[in-house]
Amino acid sequence: MSAALDDVIVLDLTDSYFAALSAAFLADFGAKVIRVERIAATNEGPEERAWNYEADLIHRNKQSVALDCSTERGRELLCEMVARSDVLVTDWLNADLAVLDLDYQSVSKSNPGLIFARISGFGPEGPDKDLPVIDELAAARTGMMPIIQQPGQPPVYTGAGKMHAAVMLGFGVVTALIHRQATGEGQEVDTSLFAANMYGASLDLQAFLAINEDDPQRDRLLNPISRLDVSNPISGSLYPSADGRWVTLTMPDTDRWWPLLAPAVGIDVDDERFDSHEKRCVTNRLALIEELEAGFQKHPGSHWRQLFSEQHMSADVIEQFDFPADDPQVKVNRYILELDHPSHGNIKTLGFPIYMSESPARLESLAPCVGQHTEKVLHELLGYPEDAIYQLTAEGIIA
Amino acid sequence: MAKALEGIRVIDFTVWFQGPVSAQHLADFGAEVIKVENPKGGDQGRGVRSMKALPMGDWNQYFLVINRNKKSIAIDLKKPEGQEILYRMVEKSDVFLSNLSPALLDKMNLSYEKLSQINPRLIYATNTGYGRFGDVTKPSFDMTVQALTGIMARLGEPGQPPIYLGMGSGDAYGGIMSALGIVMAIYQRNKTGRGQSLDASLYGSQLFLAAPHLQAYLAGNKDSALQQSRREVENPLWNIYPTNGKWIYLCEENTDERFAALCCALGEDLATQGHFGSTESRKENNIELITAIEALTLQKSDAELLSSFAANSIVSSPVNNLADVIKDEQAWQNNYFMKAYCEEVKREVDVRGLPVTLSKTPGEINTLGPQLGQDTELLMMDLLEYEWDEIEELKAVGAIP
Repeated sequence: MSAALDDVIVLDLTDSYFAALSAAFLADFGAKVIRVERIAATNEGPEERAWNYEADLIHRNKQSVALDCSTERGRELLCEMVARSDVLVTDWLNADLAVLDLDYQSVSKSNPGLIFARISGFGPEGPDKDLPVIDELAAARTGMMPIIQQPGQPPVYTGAGKMHAAVMLGFGVVTALIHRQATGEGQEVDTSLFAANMYGASLDLQAFLAINEDDPQRDRLLNPISRLDVSNPISGSLYPSADGRWVTLTMPDTDRWWPLLAPAVGIDVDDERFDSHEKRCVTNRLALIEELEAGFQKHPGSHWRQLFSEQHMSADVIEQFDFPADDPQVKVNRYILELDHPSHGNIKTLGFPIYMSESPARLESLAPCVGQHTEKVLHELLGYPEDAIYQLTAEGIIA
Repeated sequence: MAKALEGIRVIDFTVWFQGPVSAQHLADFGAEVIKVENPKGGDQGRGVRSMKALPMGDWNQYFLVINRNKKSIAIDLKKPEGQEILYRMVEKSDVFLSNLSPALLDKMNLSYEKLSQINPRLIYATNTGYGRFGDVTKPSFDMTVQALTGIMARLGEPGQPPIYLGMGSGDAYGGIMSALGIVMAIYQRNKTGRGQSLDASLYGSQLFLAAPHLQAYLAGNKDSALQQSRREVENPLWNIYPTNGKWIYLCEENTDERFAALCCALGEDLATQGHFGSTESRKENNIELITAIEALTLQKSDAELLSSFAANSIVSSPVNNLADVIKDEQAWQNNYFMKAYCEEVKREVDVRGLPVTLSKTPGEINTLGPQLGQDTELLMMDLLEYEWDEIEELKAVGAIP
């Protein structure tokens, strides 16, 4: 089997988790990702004994080159590497890139086919284009933090936006690679944490764009909606069960589900307070929520899961991480991998969210040590002979 | 301008949200996306006129935005003649995308085995609920799948109910994941000439929404599965704080220098109060420091606080609401929001724009979602090269409307 991106060289100039992960997604599918680590910037302490589980996820399948970019020679080496790459992935600020002549204007001169991919904070244009690349700032601007929790509770940062950004940048890069296949032309790709957070909030945002400014309904969308005031008691709702685990239901078509659900929660299916969709979702909505609140507390989560499963209801128990960690479905689809770590024995690590039949993602290596591939890359990619590499090492330019 | 995915033809056999939005990404960058719909009503998403049981504007915003830039052909696939039409499309297409279940696709004679025989170059993409392997076949909706990932249970203050990330949050993620898989398969196909099947499930994708925390849990940090209070975060300088207006997100490193700047902005020298003088002590006395900072921020309006933060170069943001973001200049200038003409109401409407910016082959919004079957005849003649009398016959047997 071949790998989808096995002819692509990616230079990874990233600091953040999400940008590094974006490059890792490309590496999972065969891209040769070379991570550049700055010697001057890292003042490493003694080797940590604990498993660096984060690095083994976000830097897996990558090579590592260590350079002192603060020296002119180190900077030149970096520029030489950019000139030989197909893709550059970065989350650095434009000003920091420009100092090293790594801004798009400069690098595209030596490498016009380069795809220059950046995760920014707020996009390539506009007054806030140079704000720091911090997901919390972007999430705060997106409008969802004040509404997803229960009324009276503080705003909630989910951390999901940056994960959207990681995938979006990958999509942008490969889309640009397809254009380059046809034309040889490189270009800039930008996705921002702001855009990514907005995309995660697609439906609320789009609805809000469409709703009339003087519509009184607007207020309901601007504030948290209590779970005991949910618009449809059996869709988008949450109820505690007897063992404290929560259940959630998504059954918008209440006519279809009521005959199955009602007896299960101990309500007479012909109870005339609830015998139509209108009554269930409008007239007696709050009374039904109250009944369901009591009904679901009569049995533990396991009872409800079994019932939902038998009746093919789109409803489930809200789980903690122990569930996916041990879920056979997760394992068989390689969403979480179990493997033998050379230093830490049997471990579990997040696997591959995309399945491809002919060019599946593969784990060739865990995170490299800093500088593990410096010599190899200088030799193979840049064509330096051994003595020149020795000299650069002696001068502290590379490590 | 050139389009990155020009010449790529996609059969979009999807419903609701994840599948359509996945194909939308491809259509935005120039792929010719043809929605295949049942003549009786089409994609169920066409019927979504409300959210949270509230009517949302006077146009069909849910369906029209995620199906923008697409064509629509109406085919009755239950009829053998209808199937033949689809097979002819498969011959002439690059991608087949569906979020129907593999079992149902099998039953409709639309399995990968079948379609790849017709066109070995075809990329066959599914968006399943729980993955291509294993025996889980239960219904999958965004929120019921999100429930299994563990992300909901760890959000919010301790003791509070779990928190859903927002309507369609998981579908949107599954959609872009699927689009990434598809473009990778196209890139490879352009080199090898061979297609393949791929899947991006709602479950597999959403497990990555909480990747940092789930990975920490897998490494033995059990607390990362649990709710954590904003009153107990380790670095009090990276936290949300209430004012007498909006909340503020403060994002600063826990260093003496940044703490001094914060104290300056707050107008109170907390450092000299003894137990906040060092990085370590601020970490150790985090609860106390958070309380002290909050006491000060509560005395100010968000505008006052943000302006004194700005004056001291403190990194922070107001916690805005939806009414703020739809007016956010930054979003409009980057085409994250755009205007598009809507046939249904005969005027320009505001839509979600393009979250990925390509400098030389930018995405575009040319049309909003198609009417059901609006391109059927034209596609039958031009793309599929049926003669007019054949089309009449297919209409007569009800294969097309």
